[in-house]
Amino acid sequence: MSRLAILPALLILAACDSAPAVTFKDASITLPDDPLELPEGPGRDAVLENCTACHSPSTMLQQPKVSREKWEAIVGKMQKLYKAPIDDDAVPAIVGYMVHVQSQPEAAR
Amino acid sequence: MNDSRLSRRALIAGAGTAALAAPALAKLGGMIDLGLPGGPGLRPLSPAFPGKGEMIVQRIRPPLLETPMEAFAKGIITPNDRMFVRWNWPFPTEVKAAEHRVAIGGAVKQAVSLSLDEIAGAGEHVEIVAINQCAGNGRGLSEPRVTGTQWGNGAMGCAKWTGVRLRDVLAKAGLAEGAKRVRYAGLDVTLTEGAPQFIKSLPMDMAMRDDVLVAWAMNGEPLPILHGFPLRIVVPGWFSTYWVKMLAAIEVLTGEDDSHYVAETYRWPSVPVTPQAKDFPTVPITAMPPRAFITSHADGAVVAKGEPLTLEGFAFGGDAALERVDLVGTGRGGGWEIPCDLGPDEGGQYAFRRWSVRLPQVAGDFEGIGVRAKNVKGAVQPESLVWNRSGYARNVIERITLRAQ
Repeated sequence: MSRLAILPALLILAACDSAPAVTFKDASITLPDDPLELPEGPGRDAVLENCTACHSPSTMLQQPKVSREKWEAIVGKMQKLYKAPIDDDAVPAIVGYMVHVQSQPEAAR
Repeated sequence: MNDSRLSRRALIAGAGTAALAAPALAKLGGMIDLGLPGGPGLRPLSPAFPGKGEMIVQRIRPPLLETPMEAFAKGIITPNDRMFVRWNWPFPTEVKAAEHRVAIGGAVKQAVSLSLDEIAGAGEHVEIVAINQCAGNGRGLSEPRVTGTQWGNGAMGCAKWTGVRLRDVLAKAGLAEGAKRVRYAGLDVTLTEGAPQFIKSLPMDMAMRDDVLVAWAMNGEPLPILHGFPLRIVVPGWFSTYWVKMLAAIEVLTGEDDSHYVAETYRWPSVPVTPQAKDFPTVPITAMPPRAFITSHADGAVVAKGEPLTLEGFAFGGDAALERVDLVGTGRGGGWEIPCDLGPDEGGQYAFRRWSVRLPQVAGDFEGIGVRAKNVKGAVQPESLVWNRSGYARNVIERITLRAQ
């Protein structure tokens, strides 16, 4: 009687020893919306058309103030390295918008 | 869209001009001021993300969520709902456990595709407490400023990770002759065709380490999707760029890794550079240096003149155990330093550790005081920033000023 009772416990220990139980369940998440809120300014449409598919406005608006040349280099990197489908004709407007936005006080962004 | 959500601009308008005068990290009507030099430093604390508490929203998609420093004020473990979140590319928002596989190929004896149960059965289950810190943590505080995610110092956290050793998972395929590096990828995918996939690799000696894991649990819970469900790589002591999330493929390499995120970025100068420097040699950013933070007092806090003062915080050694923490400052007689008491070693060498120091009497203002960590390898936090154009591996002594009244 006592022997039979002890048997299941031994089996459980053995199972734990070889592969402790981990149970994997499905997972899902609903991410919040990303409102495309960009302040008004010349070139805003070019930015909406060419940049916001990948970039939250927050990413763009939170960058430290850098030169026009730096923005040109950044847009160029997006085209060449990240294969962003940006029309070359739109680049001056995009760069102009970023320079304009960065010239505004923070509270206006 | 949730109509009740306040827009970013409405929030800032609500904060009014107080924002300009507020001390760093002050909360302003749903915004937080990270105090980034030259600005912009205001960040929203919304929208809320499932499974997360109050986080600093650096980017909504793909999410970049920073941990407010207040979450580090007690203990050494960062709860899952406060751990920072960083994705380079979008990721699936639903993962079926039974369908997930980790493919192992390249320089192996036999390519295999492992289910989650097979991964969990690959070897001994290991738990380790380790700090997960973005290579760019603190980038926004760089002077001169650099572009990239403008983190304050909250792109880090310390958690207990559970999984199997990467080497045991690799053993399911067997390493072929000439195996040199282990590269791995998650389920995240690029937004544009032809853009570089976010893949990373470890040299073989790291991949074989006792404590480098394929982990499925974080603080005793299944990895949340935002943190890489169902599996992520854990590399204690190394920056989290190597801690690839949603692990789906492993490739053993016989040569160097020429992929973008190893060969071209997540690299930093191997020699000191100035902001004007060009064409300097670089090496991958890997091991973390020591850091220390004061959590008991914010910059600009008022302390009682004539009274004793206790300062508290946390520190870590990086890729080696913390040896000591000193409170440092400058007075009329030059620099001074006071050793701090380390709290108990609760999490091991790769974990946060508390420190405290009691000053017998506050005689006046404390201008620009900071805490300086040193690890057992002798690495110590520098007085001035080791500037680099990517803002990686910030570990300059962080300083605050306390006003005596």
